[in-house]
Amino acid sequence: MLTPSLVVLAILIILPLAYSLVLSLFSWKLTEINLPKPFVGLDNYTRLLHDPVVGRALVNTVIYVVGAIGVELVLGFVVAAALFEMTRGRKLANALILLPMIIAPVVTALLWRYLLDPQFGLVSQFSGAVGLPSGIGWFGSSGLALPALIVVDVWQWTPFVVLIMHAGMLAINEEQFEAARVDGAGHLRILRSIVIPAIVPQILLILLFRTMDTYRIFDTVFVLTKGGPGLSTETIGLYTYRTGFSYFDMGYAMALSVFILVTVLVISGIYIRLLRRREAL
Amino acid sequence: MNRWRVASYAIVVVFLLVVLVPIAAVVVNSLKVPSDIFTPSLKLVFTPTLDNYAKVLGDLEFSSFLVNSTLVALGSTALSLAVGVPAAYALARLPIRGRELWAGGILFTRMVPAVALVVPMYVIFQRASLLGTYFALIAAHTTFNLPIVIWMMRSFFEELPPDLEEAALVDGSGRFGAFWRVALPLTAPGLAATAVLCLLFSWNEFLFALVLSGRDTQTVPIGVASFIGTVSVDWGGSSAAAVLALIPVFVLGLAAQRFLVRGLTFGAVKG
Repeated sequence: MLTPSLVVLAILIILPLAYSLVLSLFSWKLTEINLPKPFVGLDNYTRLLHDPVVGRALVNTVIYVVGAIGVELVLGFVVAAALFEMTRGRKLANALILLPMIIAPVVTALLWRYLLDPQFGLVSQFSGAVGLPSGIGWFGSSGLALPALIVVDVWQWTPFVVLIMHAGMLAINEEQFEAARVDGAGHLRILRSIVIPAIVPQILLILLFRTMDTYRIFDTVFVLTKGGPGLSTETIGLYTYRTGFSYFDMGYAMALSVFILVTVLVISGIYIRLLRRREAL
Repeated sequence: MNRWRVASYAIVVVFLLVVLVPIAAVVVNSLKVPSDIFTPSLKLVFTPTLDNYAKVLGDLEFSSFLVNSTLVALGSTALSLAVGVPAAYALARLPIRGRELWAGGILFTRMVPAVALVVPMYVIFQRASLLGTYFALIAAHTTFNLPIVIWMMRSFFEELPPDLEEAALVDGSGRFGAFWRVALPLTAPGLAATAVLCLLFSWNEFLFALVLSGRDTQTVPIGVASFIGTVSVDWGGSSAAAVLALIPVFVLGLAAQRFLVRGLTFGAVKG
């Protein structure tokens, strides 16, 4: 009963990955179909290590990953704790909170493209009305484009953090709270000494999934900034796409694909090890 | 009510506003004529119009995107369920040697980023003359849906009490009979939720569709994205397209609400 799945996964995932591993050792342009494809060994990989665009893309990606996840964790915890405190309307709030994370990233990008439009966007119109600086072209400014992309990620994925943390809080034994209250512990004290330690496995899970997904960020960046202005929002996923499908430099694109895969697996491996130790996965 | 509770309600309400206003804004835009959209200050009072929807569904080939998205989502979901559900049962119940290792290997496939797969897939499908076919997109979407089916359904099968299946085994139904006639009907709600999540993920997917689809197989996200890049942006039309893309997502998402977090975390959070 297991075999069909393993065959399908082998054909659809292992085979293409092996193929890219092999082809990354060749120099090969898609535009030169009939020319020979010389074997170049690890040249594509040494090129990758010295490519300034890769360096810039990695720096941007790390800023994006750390910035987005950091804000989402803090904001998500505050909202989850508030939700946990509520006695009524929790179900309705839960149903509404999950909406952003089921929206297609492309549609999310479109929402924010219009919200942050310098002339006719809701944010600009609102800040103009209350006397704040308006008319800021977020996605067109090399200093603001990356923070704006982080804002989009925070809007879409903080709900995920809220729901997982909230589920973790609901699993805490009620007796623990009562014992703490009898001891005279205040709200903040309970949050710090009972709630946070209890949801550490959930926090690790959030870190695992969010790191995997922010690291390979593509859709919103592709639609909103195409990596610009200049290289200010270039990410490693976007650069791989462009190398393959704009420059048609397939050998190098395959090497970049392998690089993304290996780095993702190393990062996930570390998290999974931590989770296994806590028996959360 | 103490001050903590008041503060909590305030925090949740503000957060809900931040969540909902962007969605409401696109719905409002989709009902406006350009002169109501392109105003220096926000125009809340206007005469709503369905012109944008008529235009999107009429001239702009958007209805063919809707059909393509539906076909690809159904195809990939059907394939993932047909292959993945028996595998999930096997991993939950059968005495397979190295079971956790196989499960871990399947989890690994979910971690493979689409961008690492799409480059070799493009070349393979090009050589096989399958670029731009529904088959290519269905195969690509199965790479993320199949691991989800296996892990999510496994968590549902593991929650069943084993006694019922053992009774079926004693009756001589065999393992497959126990799976097909006993375990599967009992996990029907989980199965439905899993199917819904697969449809959702496929419907929203962008990168594979961007690279592997052809003129006749483009999906809704490609249609929505094509609005954003162009120089003269048609806000009303693109907002209507976005709303059309959102309606099935919200219906499906709310139907599977209870299991959404479980699906997104591979069964790790029961929620």
